[in-house]
Amino acid sequence: MARKNRVGRWLLMRLIGLSLVLTGSFVSPQVIAQEPADKPAVAKATAEQLEFFRQQVKPILESRCIKCHGGEANVRGKLRLTSRADVLRGGETGPAVSLTEPTKSLLLDAINYESLEMPPTGKLPQREIDILTRWVKQALPFDDKAIVIKPHAPGPPAVDAKARKFWSFQPVTRPAVPEVQQGGWVKNPIDAFLLAKLEKAGLAPAPAADKPALLRRVYYNLIGLPPTPEAMRAFLADESPQALEKVVDELLDSPQYGERAGRHWLDLVRYAESNSYERDGTKPFVWRYRDYVIRSLNQDKPYDQFILEQLAGDELPERTADHLIATGYYRLGTWQDEPVDRVQELYEDLDDIVTTTSQVFLGLTLNCARCHDHKLDPLPQRDYYRFMAFFHGINRYGVRNRQSVAQFSLRDIMAPREQAQHQQEVQSHLKQVVQIEKQIAAIEKRVVGDFQPVEKEDFKFEQHKIPLLKKRVPRLLSQQQFKQYVDLKKKEKQLKNVKPVALTQALCVTETGREPRKTFILARGNAHAPGKQVEPGFPEVLSFPDPVIKPLPPEKKTSGRRLALARWIVDRRNPLTARVMVNRLWQQHFGRGIVESPNNFGFQGTEPTHPELLDWLATQLVEGGWKLKPIHKLIVLSNAYQMSSQSRPQAIDKDPENKLFWRFNMRRLAAEEIRDTVLAVNGSLNPKMFGPSIFPDIPAEVKRGQSRPGEGWGNSTPEEKARRSIYIHSKRSLVFPFLAAFDGPDTDTTCPIRFETTQPTQALEMFNGPFAHRQAAVFGNYLRKQLGPEDTRGHVKLALRRALQRPLTGDQVEQGVRFIERLQKEQAVSSAKALDYFCLVVLNLNELIYLD
Amino acid sequence: MEKKTRVQNFCGRTRRQFLWEAGGGFTSVALAGLLGDDGFLGKQSVAADGTSKFVNPLAPKNPHFKPKAKNVIFLFMYGGPSHIDTFDYKPKMTGMDNKTVDVKTFGRGGHKNKGRIVEPRWKFKQYGQSGKWVSELFPHFAECVDDVAFLHSMTADSPIHGSALLMMNSGSIISGSPCLGTWVNYGLGTVNQNLPGFVVMLDPRGGPISGPKNWSNGYMPAHYQATVMRSSGSPILNLSPPKGTTAKIQREMLDTLSYYNVEHERLRATNSNLAARIASYELAFKMQNSAPEAVDVSQETEATQKLYGLDDKKTATFGRQCLLARRLVERDVRFIQIYSGGNHNDANWDAHGDLAHNHNLHAGETDKPIAGLLKDLKQRGLLDETLVVWGGEFGRQPTAEYAKGTGRDHNAYGFTMWMAGGGIKGGVSVGKTDDLGSAAVEDRMHVRHLHATILHQLGLDPNRLTYFYGGLDRKLVGVEGADPIAQII
Repeated sequence: MARKNRVGRWLLMRLIGLSLVLTGSFVSPQVIAQEPADKPAVAKATAEQLEFFRQQVKPILESRCIKCHGGEANVRGKLRLTSRADVLRGGETGPAVSLTEPTKSLLLDAINYESLEMPPTGKLPQREIDILTRWVKQALPFDDKAIVIKPHAPGPPAVDAKARKFWSFQPVTRPAVPEVQQGGWVKNPIDAFLLAKLEKAGLAPAPAADKPALLRRVYYNLIGLPPTPEAMRAFLADESPQALEKVVDELLDSPQYGERAGRHWLDLVRYAESNSYERDGTKPFVWRYRDYVIRSLNQDKPYDQFILEQLAGDELPERTADHLIATGYYRLGTWQDEPVDRVQELYEDLDDIVTTTSQVFLGLTLNCARCHDHKLDPLPQRDYYRFMAFFHGINRYGVRNRQSVAQFSLRDIMAPREQAQHQQEVQSHLKQVVQIEKQIAAIEKRVVGDFQPVEKEDFKFEQHKIPLLKKRVPRLLSQQQFKQYVDLKKKEKQLKNVKPVALTQALCVTETGREPRKTFILARGNAHAPGKQVEPGFPEVLSFPDPVIKPLPPEKKTSGRRLALARWIVDRRNPLTARVMVNRLWQQHFGRGIVESPNNFGFQGTEPTHPELLDWLATQLVEGGWKLKPIHKLIVLSNAYQMSSQSRPQAIDKDPENKLFWRFNMRRLAAEEIRDTVLAVNGSLNPKMFGPSIFPDIPAEVKRGQSRPGEGWGNSTPEEKARRSIYIHSKRSLVFPFLAAFDGPDTDTTCPIRFETTQPTQALEMFNGPFAHRQAAVFGNYLRKQLGPEDTRGHVKLALRRALQRPLTGDQVEQGVRFIERLQKEQAVSSAKALDYFCLVVLNLNELIYLD
Repeated sequence: MEKKTRVQNFCGRTRRQFLWEAGGGFTSVALAGLLGDDGFLGKQSVAADGTSKFVNPLAPKNPHFKPKAKNVIFLFMYGGPSHIDTFDYKPKMTGMDNKTVDVKTFGRGGHKNKGRIVEPRWKFKQYGQSGKWVSELFPHFAECVDDVAFLHSMTADSPIHGSALLMMNSGSIISGSPCLGTWVNYGLGTVNQNLPGFVVMLDPRGGPISGPKNWSNGYMPAHYQATVMRSSGSPILNLSPPKGTTAKIQREMLDTLSYYNVEHERLRATNSNLAARIASYELAFKMQNSAPEAVDVSQETEATQKLYGLDDKKTATFGRQCLLARRLVERDVRFIQIYSGGNHNDANWDAHGDLAHNHNLHAGETDKPIAGLLKDLKQRGLLDETLVVWGGEFGRQPTAEYAKGTGRDHNAYGFTMWMAGGGIKGGVSVGKTDDLGSAAVEDRMHVRHLHATILHQLGLDPNRLTYFYGGLDRKLVGVEGADPIAQII
């Protein structure tokens, strides 16, 4: 930022300087800048001057300047100092040297640290400043051959006809389903698209997976939980051709579907429940957004509607609770409540929104065009700011305190009648609070005058208040007054905890008014260096006309810009939206997308392995009314999805990375799935849905890493702790260790793919950690409850069956039984404890957390 | 560890053996096609089954050029020590106490143009051949100044703890970037496969503001994450099983687990993750011995313990951590960060109230241990390859924060850090602040330059060490890049 400020100050000065120049009698720098580059370098430079340049000037340029203002790539401020013409042509802010007014040259300004400060690492010694000053005053004698100019790097991709032809910028059309030889394998068109490529490569698709593997696969992919042994039995018994379809329909209809599908979405939109930074405060009611996502997916809300609601729910004609809650989308990111630079910070927030929105909905990394034109994609800097302009009316999440968060980011979501009733409750509550606060203030008044400056600062924080008063007993307060104070504080806290507000509000977006801020292209992304003004618009390369933003009805207090953007994103002609989404659905099932870079469909993204299939699925989505469940169903009922994950030597030679999908990809369960599986397998999973987040145990040694150990982490009841992982409080500075160990998402930015690492820390967590040991014991209890305490063989069988849901071999059971017996005999472990240890082994099985 | 492995063929199998030997980084036995692209120096080979690609993200990697340093010990003085009271001698302030002067400052109290001088509270003396001026806060460390390069013109982007800590640790004031230790492990991998490559030790009073964000791997995978190590008790989270679970019971469990896992893996041989996970359990089991051994300071002589101040209650905690740091360096742990100060206010160097009380406390706790560390590293010949870095997230202002008292507010316009060992020139001081120490005026350096220097000493080009994420080649030193500080290398 220091640098940005420096450039900012510089630009400001230049603007002032420039206007002086233009109104005065000087020759305009523009005129000088047009001095043709091919004109003989320094016609009038004497041999002596050139020698001066070579001996004195050149070493300075080379050691101090050229690194940033020369070379091939990354030329700062577009200013090169490698030839005379370059110096005179100047950079982003005009010529570096004025031949008519040498002493007013930018370059001299800069090295004297008058406006710009160059070089930024520190002011040059006076001797060098003097040399450069002399050089400028001599009209820049320059030996152009002296400094070897490396060839210029190609600039950013142009927005031209060629760029527009790039596959993902082309309109989506429904490709014909290809002809294949082995038509019998084709259950639906997905299979034909895959098979056509396999046949061309001389590969055969893998045979069908066995039924247990298949059932586990659809359960985890659709609801993120293992099938129960009963479900497995029923499926194995059902020999009808519709057996799988029946299960799939059931799963898609089950409430757990939204919890799994919702988790994918929450990863994308950087969902977390705190703000990060020093206070890392909890976002009020943010969980309503999580619930909204789960509900919407369960209802199979059309994806276009889902987008409209999140980006512009408040601007839609109908004002419903969900429409407001959905706009919580804008409030999920990090929030710096104590910014170094308030002006710049607004743009950091907006950048978070531009980054997330462009990558998640469009697969474009527009964020790379914030400081300069995108270096890899045909996205000029102007595109970034035109896109940002859609959001430029948005209020920051808050300014510093909780009241401001309420003002800018919380809104009532109740019906009018409820609101009136609620208003009453609030009033009476407020009355009580005011009364107590008065009494508290009366006591505090006796001591505040006694505070040292630091104490005054500390006194702003709740946790210091009681100790600070206690220090002054009995000098300024009687023991009784102090006791009364403590009681009052306790009551106050209780009262504040039961605010009636809690049921009535949602975290949502608001704007400054119907007229948003003006948007300027910011030089190098610096908020203090506004350049040309721009209006909202779409990336030029996509060739859409500029939006016509109609004012919203008078009762709306926003600009309507976000609605215009959202409508464009869901426009059927938008080439990216549907493609990006079906690719994500494919990735959820096959482990990788047809495009392997799901948030990047640009030039540097990976090319689709099956472009026709991608487009076919995209048209299917749009024509099906943007409903996601039918696409899921189509995918999982294909033969492609039902292939075995077994390898074949010949196939793995030809296509080791499985680019053509000749088999199914094994995958490890995601962090949440692992924890949920442990709870499901041992029978303790609490299926309760929705509501404020839960706080399972975090070891004290982890909390010790916080500056206030334990702050911001509550304690839920044992039943609540056994709920699904999607309901665990997501705190940015204290990530729940179990989820962190198994590669939970980074929540500061959009997370399109989870890592899948294997590390000893995971083994320690699952083998030694208190959670694993506790759950193993719960598992043991469950087994004893089902089968009585003595039936070791039965325990082993049931434990393995609940964990693996497949028929067992005799030896597998035998191994478990022998383990339990050995522990009892050789290690003097009780039979119950020995079973618990066996349960721990079961929870650690590779087969439990890897899907075939 | 008992050799009672029931799965007899465990080590007989070539591929597994390969995994065992090459794959076992503490935070990684991972192999992931996923990482194929970012392993810019990645040592890639084909697993012994001849087909699946094997990538161990933490296998030792070749640096860009011959390194001067192998390891880094970062002594983080959380809260922001006052440079003018420690190493940035300001004789012209003598006699100015309580005078109101015009000076631009920016701290938690906002921007100010005037302030009441708080004259440095400690006397300065010259030490060593270099004649370095050091205040009486650091009498022991002062004896080492000829091995130290002082950076007096440091600047940072924020004078607010939260963002300044992120800046010093991750190069950015914006939440979400990986920190220095992560970058180092990403760039170089780790030699010791039984210990973490990146260790953080905290002050018992608590973590710094934003806690784990300060040692986060950000957008990089968990291979490069930090491990918080405690200097007493079980050193690593979950390293020991609950009471009652003996090593023999664990061995039994591991063998049975292995039986099932090996059987499961037999038909899935091309998925090397499965074998890696099997290996990771054995490794974790081994670590239960190797990690406690590493932190067992009772193996050290009494003289060594004394050198670090373990015999004095005041210095024992930080001394023990410094001694551990040396032991970890000996065991090839790549990056170690120790926090002096935790929690809030006077529990760290954040001297807003009584300057003398605060700095006497924290300097008193750390001076002898730091001197001990430097001397010990030197006498063992380790200082040449171990880069020691000292400093906080910023410095402090020359003026008082409040109308009364000696408390100083934060100062990111100019402050001091120092480096020693690892190929850094000793006995030099670079950069200057103005006569009051309010801002850097000569050879101004940014946190990025500090980071660039650290990477450079480790053999990494700060402008070439990149990680592709979110459409961009990310660098620790930011898109603009930064060069190492030439004057000290």
